[in-house]
Amino acid sequence: MISPIPLPCLWLATVAVFTAGVGLAEPLDFGDHTSATLTGKAWKALGEQRYDDALAYTGKCRELYMAEALKQQAALTDFVPAEKAHDSWALNDVGTCLFIEGQVLEKHDKPKAAATYRELATALKFCQCWDPKGWFWRPAEVAAEKVKQLQFDAKLE
Amino acid sequence: MRIEGTTETGYELIRDGRPFVIHGVGGTARLDVLAACGGNTVRTWDAETALATVDGRTLLEQAHDAGITVTVGLWLEHERHGFRYDDAARVAAQRKRVEEAVRRIKDFPALLTWGLGNEMEGPTGRGDREAVWKEVELLARRIHAIDPNHPVMTVVANVNPDKVRAIREHAPSIDILGVNAYAGAAGVGNALRRMGWTKPYCVTEYGLPGPWEVDQTDWRAPIEPTSRRKAGFYNVATTDILADTKQCLGAYAFLWGSKQEATASWFGMLLPSGEKTIAADAMAEAWTGSWPNNRAPILGDTRVPLANRRVKTATTFDVLAPYHDPEGDALRYYWEVRRESTDRREGGDAERVPEEVPKCIVRADDSGNATIRVPSAPGAYRLFVTVRDGKGSGCIDNWPFFVEL
Repeated sequence: MISPIPLPCLWLATVAVFTAGVGLAEPLDFGDHTSATLTGKAWKALGEQRYDDALAYTGKCRELYMAEALKQQAALTDFVPAEKAHDSWALNDVGTCLFIEGQVLEKHDKPKAAATYRELATALKFCQCWDPKGWFWRPAEVAAEKVKQLQFDAKLE
Repeated sequence: MRIEGTTETGYELIRDGRPFVIHGVGGTARLDVLAACGGNTVRTWDAETALATVDGRTLLEQAHDAGITVTVGLWLEHERHGFRYDDAARVAAQRKRVEEAVRRIKDFPALLTWGLGNEMEGPTGRGDREAVWKEVELLARRIHAIDPNHPVMTVVANVNPDKVRAIREHAPSIDILGVNAYAGAAGVGNALRRMGWTKPYCVTEYGLPGPWEVDQTDWRAPIEPTSRRKAGFYNVATTDILADTKQCLGAYAFLWGSKQEATASWFGMLLPSGEKTIAADAMAEAWTGSWPNNRAPILGDTRVPLANRRVKTATTFDVLAPYHDPEGDALRYYWEVRRESTDRREGGDAERVPEEVPKCIVRADDSGNATIRVPSAPGAYRLFVTVRDGKGSGCIDNWPFFVEL
């Protein structure tokens, strides 16, 4: 299914609302199943430390939109300018979901987190994510740094 | 000391006839430990620090004894602190101070380069004020006239196109652009090239993301990366920066020492008591490819249920923060609760250390277990743990929490 609404990933990379009620179960709800909805729900779940839910949303986004994301990536030779970034909606949302997935996996499975970040950094390298502070950031570039940091961390063991 | 090369061939700093890559830190503590870790230079922010004496020896002499060079800062006043670059009398007094410092220091063998100013364009904004950069140009020329043997670097707070253009246009006598950058340090070279900077550069402050760049709790307390994570930031950033062997002369990591900036532990690679931490070990690995002797304790999986949470007054929590020592040294744990800092400044200005709250540690053992009773007074706090191996290495971590009725 292709998202009928090519929304950008209007979600802050650094969502972190910590309250006494974190981690409480909330029924999974894929909403309208658009990539934007799934990405938004994944960010929210990550911020609320509902890690299994976050993985469920990112997994669904992958399942539904990875093929389109790869197609959009293959059509690019560089980052698209900000005013056209929304055209790459699947690339942006799936890339962001992989980033969220990496964030969750870092907490309990660092090798798997590194593999996810590596996939993002290589397969979806032109994805962009809107930060409400007013700019697009590049999840694949951050993921590439994360891979190096996890490689260093492995040396500590 | 000289710079050789061109934009096309790449630049090198030459010292005693040999290429010198800056493996540096900001700060002046424990130069012996720095040298043992593979560091070769320190940076000061002012000339007074370079001339300050311990046991009758200046920092420049102590550094030379340890095989360490010094980029000596020549402090230039900031307009955000009330200075005006259009106030002729104050500008003249500053010129006199800078010139006197150069005359006093220029012949010390440990001197590597001059660091003319630090973020005097302001830590925020475009940083393109003409009066500032014209004054930097005048001073750079005078320094070259007094001391033709050491390059002049000016240091800015990150870069943007307006700032770089202003420096290129108004301060062409600058030899090296020093850039203070934190989360984006590895991208400084590419950013400078995009902005048309063709001379050498040095990353003059970097390390881990600053308190202004990280996630916050819902009461706006920045969440400090763990000591283990910090080590990763330092190691990867250093490796990435030094990979630009064409235009980058090296880098100074922040901070070789300890200071209160948001917390008492955010940027320090040493404990306040002088032990090196895992961040210092990470620097050594990046500089030399191997670990130093007697590595610092490494944080394992933690269980700190009050971390980043709102908790009820006077409740107790069992926490676990286990460290392991690579050499198997016995570790001593010291837990403490401090109020969240309220004296937050910008641009690295000095902040007061919040007071310790007594009677919060119910019990603690040497395996990383502790029972914490949170303070009875509502407010924002942090739980700190400091771990020492008794042989010169240690670590510190902290977790914010908020007490409410």
